[in-house]
Amino acid sequence: MHGVCALERTELLTGWGRTQPVVANLVELNGTPASPEIFVRPGTIARGLGRAYGDAAQIGGGRVVTQPDDVSSSTLQDGVLSAGGGVSLDSILSSYVPRGWFVPVTPGTRYVSVGGAIAADIHGKNHHLEGTFSNHVESFDLLTPVGEKRVSRDGDPDLFWATAGGMGLTGVITRASFKMIPVESAYMKVETRRLENLDELMATMVGSDHKFRYSVAWIDCLARGRSMGRSVLTRGDHARLADLGGAIAGDPLHYQARPVASAPPWLPGGLLNTASVRLFNEMWFRKAPRLREDEIQKIPTFFHPLDGVAGWNRIYGPRGFLQYQFVLPDGEEEALRRILEQIASAQVPSFLAVLKRFGAANPGLLSFPRPGWTLALDIPVGSPRLFGLLERLDRLVLEASGRLYLAKDSRAKAETIAAMYPRLGELAAIKAKVDPEGLIKSDLSRRLGIL
Amino acid sequence: MFDALHTPDNVLIVGGSSEIGLEIAKQLARRGSSKFLLAGRSLEEMQGAARQISQVSEQAAASVSVIHYDVLAEGATESLLAAAKAELETIDMAVIAVGALGNQATDEKDPGAAERIIEVNFSKLAPAVLAIANQMATQGFGHVVVLSSVAGVRVRRSNFIYGSAKAGMDGFATALADAMIPSGVKVTVVRPGFVATRMTAHLSPAPLSTTASRVAADTLRAADRGKVTVWVPPLMAVVATVYRHLPRAIARRIPF
Ligand SMILES: Cc1cc2nc3c(=O)[nH]c(=O)nc-3n(C[C@H](O)[C@H](O)[C@H](O)COP(=O)(O)OP(=O)(O)OC[C@H]3O[C@@H](n4cnc5c(N)ncnc54)[C@H](O)[C@@H]3O)c2cc1C
Repeated sequence: MHGVCALERTELLTGWGRTQPVVANLVELNGTPASPEIFVRPGTIARGLGRAYGDAAQIGGGRVVTQPDDVSSSTLQDGVLSAGGGVSLDSILSSYVPRGWFVPVTPGTRYVSVGGAIAADIHGKNHHLEGTFSNHVESFDLLTPVGEKRVSRDGDPDLFWATAGGMGLTGVITRASFKMIPVESAYMKVETRRLENLDELMATMVGSDHKFRYSVAWIDCLARGRSMGRSVLTRGDHARLADLGGAIAGDPLHYQARPVASAPPWLPGGLLNTASVRLFNEMWFRKAPRLREDEIQKIPTFFHPLDGVAGWNRIYGPRGFLQYQFVLPDGEEEALRRILEQIASAQVPSFLAVLKRFGAANPGLLSFPRPGWTLALDIPVGSPRLFGLLERLDRLVLEASGRLYLAKDSRAKAETIAAMYPRLGELAAIKAKVDPEGLIKSDLSRRLGIL
Repeated sequence: MFDALHTPDNVLIVGGSSEIGLEIAKQLARRGSSKFLLAGRSLEEMQGAARQISQVSEQAAASVSVIHYDVLAEGATESLLAAAKAELETIDMAVIAVGALGNQATDEKDPGAAERIIEVNFSKLAPAVLAIANQMATQGFGHVVVLSSVAGVRVRRSNFIYGSAKAGMDGFATALADAMIPSGVKVTVVRPGFVATRMTAHLSPAPLSTTASRVAADTLRAADRGKVTVWVPPLMAVVATVYRHLPRAIARRIPF
């Protein structure tokens, strides 16, 4: 195959939630120029670091295209980084934070690729002010069945905004250029607040999130009644030199991020149950200060605490877990409350539930964020009631003009997603131009009938 | 495709008028499976089953097609796979609910009849199951659910023709589960005790008898967990273990 792939091997793949294993043919692109011949039947899809929760970066019986995490081939000019599609934010941070540059947007894990960041149009704790990752992208190189081409946001806005958020369905992003942000230190200045219920939390976020570059709240989803929505809100910004004292002031850009532990390769199911999560939530809530200001934290502590334990997704046992993430527009706070009530009364053991405010949406046809509230919660697969609960939540989200995040989805129905993303038809039309034979597919696109 | 809760989109029921097969289909439709293909001998019965399946969910009616399939007929499995490809695209789950009890007393005296029972329950069925599993292997995923029987756990005097065929099928399917691991295909073998259905209506129920809907529910729970074998009711596992080790002289005298 014209030497475009270093290796081709059969592998069992899943998303981060480990719920839908399939065997596919894995091909790693290793050189330029990559050939359009990599696209084959029954379907081909790009894969980054497999951090999407469900079936977005796999196609059973088809071909899955990966790229190396080679940060040495990246260049930084005038604050714009050009990096390969397979390069991880982890590698970028390790290389560039010591030089005083930070990525424009980071999700809750640094183990995502540049390609995956654009394809899911990821958001971070700064979305309310600075938008998604793609908002900072100037152009990317896209390999499609009709060839490889540079797509810039101004030159080819249609293909650009079909690809940003397009879940890999328009081709393989092989390189991208995006604006980095300058930082004076590798530290964060953080405010932590404990809020006793949902009203307090929402009022605080609406009232003062705009004063903080980064903001996110952890919610105790098991708390009910008057405590429903009790939470810990952390907000902050990059620390300036003047904010630092003591030893760290001498080496302000020192950055080191490594997992400190690793989950054992095999764990039984059921470790995370309502009792253990209730205990965790209680401790987490109690240990948070009522208000702590100007705390200096390391970047990984503030942005990527979960990355401290490699392979933590195995804690959920062999049946895996899913993440339910939706956004509701401003004005639908009642719906949010109803959803939280449903979750609390079902006693879903979710120890990872976060609430965040989104700012303006972008033109991405399948881009998830829009102004309002987004809630994300991890849920172990297992309880037989889960199916009905999630169906009810889908209806509430839909009735409130909300939508689900495709990068997290592993179970929604085609009709639900079609109702939430009315511009799927436009995507299909643009896709048809670069993929006339319909060779780009994923298990997610097949499950949701996105073609 | 499967969703995260292991609900398949597209389901093939082989033995399309089997009551257990129908129950499994209905429970899957309730969970959101959207396409079914029923393959069996009686078109009329399958059409009745199809109506029931498509009426299960009010919001999203499942689409159900039926196709004539006789495991004993020449080339039957090839046409079945072709139809499945056309109707379902991918076979996410295949439920193998083919079976014929026969009549031990008369079949014992008629080797031709005995042969048919062995073919339907094992020697023709096993290659069909293999073909379906291999088709799934090309998809990189799939789940074959094989309805076995406690009758195959220890083959008994009272129904050794059916029992030996079931024993063969059970061994075949459980080992197939191991063989298919590298290809991403799962196999679950269900061993119900005495199930009150049409097939057994003329027999008096044995101890630990169960119902089709119970078998279906337990089957799907086991499939969700990726289990290779499941006994229905679970106590059957204990009974079967004891049974397997009973001295022959005693086992021979057990009437069921
Ligand atoms: C712990 C954790 C926390 C997270 N927090 C957040 C968060 O805060 N905000 C947020 O937005 N998301 C978050 N996510 C989701 C994650 O950011 C996205 O799923 C992201 O797409 C993962 O990147 P990846 O490289 O692993 O891509 P994969 O999971 O491998 O792929 C995801 C999608 O991108 C496509 N894709 C990947 N590479 C390319 C490429 N080169 N060209 C074209 N398409 C490609 C794939 O086809 C697939 O559709 C989180 C995930 C985890 C596990």
